Amino acid sequence: MDFTSFDLGEFFGIGDDFLSEMMMLVWIIPIIIFVFYGQRIQLIISSNDIKKDIDKLEKFKNDSRQKLIHYIKNTLNPKDDPVKKIDSFLEYFTIMPVDLDPNGIIPKINHLVHSREDFTRLQVKSLFSDISDFELTKVHNLLEITTSLQLFHKITRHLYLTAKKQKNFPLILPLQMMIPFIMEEANALKDAVESMKNGQPMGDGIGPMVVGEMMLGASKQSAAFETVWAKSEYEGRELLLVKAEGPNATVGRPGEAIENIIPQKKPDLIIMIDAALKLEGENSASIAKGFGAAIGGIGTERFKIEEVATKNNIPILAIVIKQTIKEAITLMSEDIAKQAKPVKTQIHEMIEENSKSGQTVMIIGVGNTLGISQ
Amino acid sequence: MSRSERRIINCYTRLECKLCKNTSKRKFESGDCVFQNMGKCSECDADLIVTMIFGEIIE
Repeated sequence: MDFTSFDLGEFFGIGDDFLSEMMMLVWIIPIIIFVFYGQRIQLIISSNDIKKDIDKLEKFKNDSRQKLIHYIKNTLNPKDDPVKKIDSFLEYFTIMPVDLDPNGIIPKINHLVHSREDFTRLQVKSLFSDISDFELTKVHNLLEITTSLQLFHKITRHLYLTAKKQKNFPLILPLQMMIPFIMEEANALKDAVESMKNGQPMGDGIGPMVVGEMMLGASKQSAAFETVWAKSEYEGRELLLVKAEGPNATVGRPGEAIENIIPQKKPDLIIMIDAALKLEGENSASIAKGFGAAIGGIGTERFKIEEVATKNNIPILAIVIKQTIKEAITLMSEDIAKQAKPVKTQIHEMIEENSKSGQTVMIIGVGNTLGISQ
Repeated sequence: MSRSERRIINCYTRLECKLCKNTSKRKFESGDCVFQNMGKCSECDADLIVTMIFGEIIE
């Protein structure tokens, strides 16, 4: 092939006539525009998509706030108009402890989280002259949902406006990457409001549901704040059953409960049952077994369980029921509810395989126990 | 409106007799909770309890 006869002018459409010069301009002008304004054009396109999501977040936040106020006013008979107080709760923030020296940070976080919970509970209680624990925990959870949606909206709006103000395209890239995940969680939170108001169990409640059934007929004692335990028996093994106190909308304090129970009754094995986020491609409501403390949250409860288990040399086994974030915090699906029986069978198998007759096994049902008693 | 926004979720309560294991399903009513005693079974007069509360999606 003869490359020496390659005509550059012909290739770019540059000839002698006027039409060819115009063709050259058609090539060159967009190149010049993209060189100087490419980032701005990308910024406009990306920010338009993000703006739509931010508007959705604002709608979710306003809707959940409205629903909370409507629920309090029309169902719970508050002392005064709750709007001002609720709006002030939504603006509360939490400053996490300094982590430059992480040694001893867990008790600090634990203290902070408990203080925040206690404070919010007192504030919610102050709205009413009389309110049941069931309704109190529901309002507390609804308030947390609205606060989370407000935080999502505020942070995404801040990043979006900063990028626009600085006309800085790279600044919007992390937001563009994160927004699908933020929207997935925000959608789940928005949908959680309805089932929470109705007191219906959520997917996360599968752990307490399994253990709650094992507790039926046994006498329950308080193990820690909003947490109960009961004794039972299976094939010569003593079972110590622990779950949050239902049917309130609470996860209880299982870490504290175990710390309180273990000095009285030292188990030879701990089995934890919890809901776990499924990976893309995994089936919803599938069951998986493993090792280690199956418990989510900020990490303080898991720390306590791991600490006490290590100190007493107790192995921890886990059974998890896979689900999406939406399934975990909205009304429990039939597929997940139907897994309660297979999970119970797997607990029995685990007990038989990993303990001997005469030994003690602790079984902890982790998750929000709304709508699930024991 | 997206497909997910069009979804309607109906909530049901499943009741089971502790003795004859007869099960029935009805619409969720306010105050229902899992493991709640719902009276006596019409077949054998044993305790009838709520075994699950769940949602069914209607597209």
